[in-house]
Amino acid sequence: MRFKSTTGLAAVVTAAALALTGCGSGGSGSSGGSTNANGKVDGTGKTLNVLVGVQTQYPEQQKQWQSDIAAKFKAQTGADVKFETFASANDELTRIQTSVVSGQGPDIYGLGTTFTPTAYATKAFVTLSDDDWKAVGGKDRFNQAALGISGPDKDHMAGIPFVSRPFVMAYNKDLLAAAGIDKPATSWDELAAQAKKMTKGDTYGIATGYKDNYDPWKFIWAMSVQAGNPLVDGNKLKMDDPTVKKAYETYFGWLTNDKVVDPASVGWSNSNAVAAFASGKAGYLMMTTSSSIPTLDKSAVAGKYQYTVMPTIAPGETQSKSDAPAASILSGDNLVVADYSKQKDLAFAYINLITSKDEQLNYQKIFGDLPANAEALASLTDPKLKPVADAAAKSKATPFTGAWGDIQLGLLNVTVQSIPDLAAGKVDESALDQRIKDAQNKGQASLDRASKG
Amino acid sequence: MSTDASHEVRLAADTAASRAPRNTDDAGQQPGHKGGPRRKGLSERNRPLWMLIPGGALMIIIIVVPLLLGIYMSVLNLDQYTLRKWISAPLIGAENFVEAVTDSPLLHAVWLSVSYSLLAMVVTLPLGVAAAVATQNAFKGRAVIRSIFLIPYVLPSFVVATVWRTMLQPGGIVDEALATVGIHVGLWLNGPQTFWTLVLVQIWASWPFIYLLALSGLQSVDHEVHEASALDGALWWNKLRYVVFPYLKGPLSLAFLIGMLHHINNFTLPFVLFGVPAPSDVEVLPILTYVTSFQSFRFGLSAAMAFISLVLIAIPLFVYLRAVKLDDADTPGGKK
Amino acid sequence: MSTTTATRQGPATVQVDRPGSHRQHEVLRLLPGPLLVIVLVFLGALVLVPVLYIFLASVNSDIGVANGEFWPSTVTFENYSKIWTSVGLATGLTNSVLVAGATAVVSAALSVSTAFVLVRYTFRGRLSILRGLLALQSVPGTLMVLPVFVLFSSAATYLGIQVIGTQWGLFVTYLTFAMPFSTWVMVTYLRGLPKELEEAARIDGASNLGVLFRIILPLSWPGIVVSGIFAFLLGWNDVLFASVMTRPESQTAAVALQIFGASQEGGAIPYYGQMMAAALVCAAPVVILYLIFQRYLVGGLTAGGVK
Repeated sequence: MRFKSTTGLAAVVTAAALALTGCGSGGSGSSGGSTNANGKVDGTGKTLNVLVGVQTQYPEQQKQWQSDIAAKFKAQTGADVKFETFASANDELTRIQTSVVSGQGPDIYGLGTTFTPTAYATKAFVTLSDDDWKAVGGKDRFNQAALGISGPDKDHMAGIPFVSRPFVMAYNKDLLAAAGIDKPATSWDELAAQAKKMTKGDTYGIATGYKDNYDPWKFIWAMSVQAGNPLVDGNKLKMDDPTVKKAYETYFGWLTNDKVVDPASVGWSNSNAVAAFASGKAGYLMMTTSSSIPTLDKSAVAGKYQYTVMPTIAPGETQSKSDAPAASILSGDNLVVADYSKQKDLAFAYINLITSKDEQLNYQKIFGDLPANAEALASLTDPKLKPVADAAAKSKATPFTGAWGDIQLGLLNVTVQSIPDLAAGKVDESALDQRIKDAQNKGQASLDRASKG
Repeated sequence: MSTDASHEVRLAADTAASRAPRNTDDAGQQPGHKGGPRRKGLSERNRPLWMLIPGGALMIIIIVVPLLLGIYMSVLNLDQYTLRKWISAPLIGAENFVEAVTDSPLLHAVWLSVSYSLLAMVVTLPLGVAAAVATQNAFKGRAVIRSIFLIPYVLPSFVVATVWRTMLQPGGIVDEALATVGIHVGLWLNGPQTFWTLVLVQIWASWPFIYLLALSGLQSVDHEVHEASALDGALWWNKLRYVVFPYLKGPLSLAFLIGMLHHINNFTLPFVLFGVPAPSDVEVLPILTYVTSFQSFRFGLSAAMAFISLVLIAIPLFVYLRAVKLDDADTPGGKK
Repeated sequence: MSTTTATRQGPATVQVDRPGSHRQHEVLRLLPGPLLVIVLVFLGALVLVPVLYIFLASVNSDIGVANGEFWPSTVTFENYSKIWTSVGLATGLTNSVLVAGATAVVSAALSVSTAFVLVRYTFRGRLSILRGLLALQSVPGTLMVLPVFVLFSSAATYLGIQVIGTQWGLFVTYLTFAMPFSTWVMVTYLRGLPKELEEAARIDGASNLGVLFRIILPLSWPGIVVSGIFAFLLGWNDVLFASVMTRPESQTAAVALQIFGASQEGGAIPYYGQMMAAALVCAAPVVILYLIFQRYLVGGLTAGGVK
């Protein structure tokens, strides 16, 4: 990248120097584009760098949206916006790491919600002051539930909600009706019972991918939380709790006992499960988001499927024991502003623009993600979005700790190492105990480091 | 197979080799040894050592300096809490190293990496040599075949891994093809067999590397040697073994070494094939260091792991160098 | 075929064989006919079956690929036109050709001269350099990403040279990482070259550079091409460094492809078809380049040997 102006270069150089020598100030909003009398930020001649995830399903629309919003921002502040995209969560982590170490890189990052705690732990991103919140349009403009994973507490928040992407399940209306089921399951036990009714021949009750890099831990987390175990309790990890084991047994049981999932799904990722559901061979598609709409609308189940909230009653229970229903992890994108940025005012102005009601509605129309802007969310009337919006309201944030990455990895690893057993049709109980114990020990060690850090 | 013929061929090869000049001198081991043969005198006069400067400077700046930086990071308590001000991260000395050896799957990972690399190499060597020997014969369409052989090496690892993952998934086309002949292998991408999957895909992806080096080695086989062995009426096998293969010793020793290192450091292939966390049977070194630094954010520990594995790999490397005399002997491929 | 044979033959071998004659063919033959066919068919199938799969997937529907079809149920070639906008392949390919091409040329040039000195001259530390080159090969990339990035960002901080995000940064990185191996390829190659010609040239009063340019270079084409190919492929296939050191406008094809291919958390079916199409399109330039350069792979020795 050749910097358009020497100012841009100088800004980066200075910022990098500050960060490299470890003198970067923890304060925020103190420097960068000057604010003139009418409260508008003047960014003439400046360039704002924004790193966001690539919209795999809508590459062209994303490019279009980016150039539109850049034009609007230019009209508003005179500054240019340059977008960069990362491919996957792993790419994003690499980018964050290198930027944090070297003190140079994008001004604004779009983060998956579950990475917000890790990003917060680096202290490399701005914790918003009251003034900063005002600059992005005020805390009140956002759906309060979406703020649940912006920081460790109400006064220390770094993540500004941009969109919600809660997890839901999709069901095949025809298959449910054929099996005499009048409404989708609300408890995990009911789900398994309904799935059994729908399983015959090469049609299965449930489509899910056991080899997915994310899905398995979300099931375990949800079932455990619904059974009253939030997994992290202060400085204690509670993975050795019986609720966790019960969750794994239920999740694995679909395959080994209930036989309601395709045996091939031990090797599936989420996309294979979507494909199976799309070809009409599954009653339920678990753990999906509104991003599966384009695929499903072009498939054999177009018009025959519907989204609904995933079960909220833990296996073996009759009601939720959690303070929140935990129908989904609190999922979506947060925006964070880099602490090394020399144009934080400009960054906040940009965030203000894209979280405004109109822009949020426009974004929803193009990409399907739910607005984080409360007014925009309330104004949505499309019945198809109702279950998704419900799920957003019933979402619960994962524990806010820098150790969450490790804990998530541990939860997932239990499934990964159990897959050979799953394929053989039986998960040995003592082996499962041992795997859970390993994950507990590693996660606890990580939690210990977090509490020291 | 006639021993007489092989004897003849060997003689021819020996003559060819003995006519090769003594190219290389061992000044590194015998500094100041003057008054050698005439050629030695020549190579000590007027040495254009400045030609080493551009390459040397690059390698020092881009490899050695960052490497030292990496080693420095290995004695820091560097994680997500200290990353931002990494220069002032707490110095914890050998703690990372102790944890890496005693309380992490590092040694297991080293063992996996080395054994998988070796297995893949043992298979790719004959494949690559066979391909090079086969395309040495002139025939119609040879240029096309030579280019086709290159394809696996030309495809980005990311694509290779994605393609194989799709083909190897349960119920995928590999399973279906094998099922038609009555073979049921089970899971490719999970469980104990993953190790063999990794070996197989690595073989597919990297044999053209051996092929390329072997092909270049074959070009240095003197035409007269072909003539001589043809006149002797040598069997093809003897000709290959006693005449042609000696020329390949240098390039193939190098190919073996570099190929091993490429396999050991290959991150993309296992990462895309198996994802993270990887099944414990394929938790090879790059995956382990990657997970440690980018998922657990233990950069110091990860640097220590990488450094330990570097040392563990360097020891056999030097033993190997001595054994094959790659760095200080004439290769038998000398031309007249 | 006849041209290759002719170059190989050269005036050095005073034989009566005509290029392409039966006897000439026999002389060079290394494998008996049936075995040759077996080897070629086996290796050809080994390569082509997965490549065929890639091609078939590139004209298949994404759901078909996700369901594990080999033969597409529907065939469409639109993926080949879509990728130019969706993957951003044009920019990526241009950058890749620029960066990898420059890496190949410069690293081949540098490694010839470096190897020339290492093979033909004696000096203290020569062996250490040779061994050190191999040792550098064993440094894992995952260890190097972070420090190299820090180094480059310091270049911006203290020297005011913006490296990250430019093609220059990638070029310098690839060049350096390609150098040890390229140099070694040239070392093993140069060792096999006759020394008499150089000595003759020196007696005629040629300087070191003169020997390098007029004697070594013309003789070394096979080695140069091979080391150039390796350097080229290093730059062509790398994702690790390119993903952190490029910006959209300096992105290489491999990164563009990876960004396109890696689907996001909770996403639906990836665009397999476009990805496979893009992979084939990315592989094509390298295969074509190789087709062009492969004639230099043979006959370098005899062709230049007597001039």
